Amino acid sequence: MKSYSQIEGDGGSAVAEQIADLEAAIARRMAGIHHVVAVGSGKGGVGKSTLTRQLGAVLAAAGKRVGILDADLNGPSQALLGGVRNVPPLPGEEGLLVPVSRDGLKILSVGSLLAEGEALSWPSASPRHTHVWRATRELAKLAELLAAVHWGPLDVLLVDLPPGPERTAQFADFLGPQAAVVLVSIPSALARGVVARSVSALASLPNRVLGYVENMSGYACAGCGTVRPLFPESHEAAELKLPCLGRVPFDPQLAALSDEGRAITEVAGAGPVAAALAEVARNLIDTLEAP
Amino acid sequence: MKFLCVPCDTPMRMRSTAESEPGSLSVVYECPECGYEMAMLTNQHETDMVRSLGVRIGPAAAAAIANPGTVEAGEPAASRCPFSAMLGGATQTEAATPSGPEWTPGALARLESIPEMVRPMARAGIEMVARENGHQVIDEAVLADARARFGM
Repeated sequence: MKSYSQIEGDGGSAVAEQIADLEAAIARRMAGIHHVVAVGSGKGGVGKSTLTRQLGAVLAAAGKRVGILDADLNGPSQALLGGVRNVPPLPGEEGLLVPVSRDGLKILSVGSLLAEGEALSWPSASPRHTHVWRATRELAKLAELLAAVHWGPLDVLLVDLPPGPERTAQFADFLGPQAAVVLVSIPSALARGVVARSVSALASLPNRVLGYVENMSGYACAGCGTVRPLFPESHEAAELKLPCLGRVPFDPQLAALSDEGRAITEVAGAGPVAAALAEVARNLIDTLEAP
Repeated sequence: MKFLCVPCDTPMRMRSTAESEPGSLSVVYECPECGYEMAMLTNQHETDMVRSLGVRIGPAAAAAIANPGTVEAGEPAASRCPFSAMLGGATQTEAATPSGPEWTPGALARLESIPEMVRPMARAGIEMVARENGHQVIDEAVLADARARFGM
């Protein structure tokens, strides 16, 4: 009796071919992107999405062509942060065109497709077992979108990852070995421990982990302009054996600006946060372009 | 997955597909040598496994995925697949537009060329622009208007 590999094709269902075609389509769509940078953490609530959006703004202000892919299909925030929540992706001559923020960032986020407070549904043939295949289906949907989007030439595509160390590694693997990873932490032992787990989860993958950004590294006082500690100093925090790309203080003004979908680059004299983001952007580009 | 006709040692060929009941795929294979037929019927878990891969079952659907953007006018890609409703994955209800503007086959084909999950929002945005500009028919020019209106 013939074995599996002795039979050419699969009799007509072409499942393997469809997956190969999809991967080829994604590669074609992303061929014009110079750098793909996945921004993850592992820990939720560290300001990763806001940092991603504002880092994109600073890169754009420095003359870079920037896109943001919101890979968090279930908790999308980039549409709101980019001010494109009510802007639909549209069919263009060469593929799906994504909304563009006022400061010129191309943003693909499921948040553009859903009303506020609405969640994607993942119907299943087996209603009590939606959890079994859900992660695979999310990535399949993301792949379908990536195979359709016409990004055009970009210097940097920032990918805002969902939380979870294992998800960070899973998405890095999904994006392929060319995708670099930047991790975001805050100065708390708890957060650094989770980020250290992400570093560990990424260790088996070929993706470059460029370094980490310490977000909320202090409180930027709007009155006196000084930066004060926001978290108590911890001597038990896990050491992240990665280059630090910069430390960004917390500024309530930035939070308000972000909720309005505005970029920090729209505000003149934005202070220590703008300076810190500019440093992160410089270090990121230098690291990406280092031989 | 491949199927082999054991008596003739010949790979079987897919003959037809159908949704035999909600949550179950029915895929019929035949042996090109002896004509023997068999049907594969999936349970809900197996159906979900196929769905999770984001693929379609059947050669025509495979061609539609392999060549995005080449959908024939008036024939949505998903409609070629007998399982499109089952395998579509995350869904939203497409915006009902009973009294909306008419779409030309070319404009509709353009809409159908983008992923299913973004179509309702794209359709609503384009129809809004058509109404704003007093267009009764949505054609390529209206699509260009919509792109301009949304800064693309």
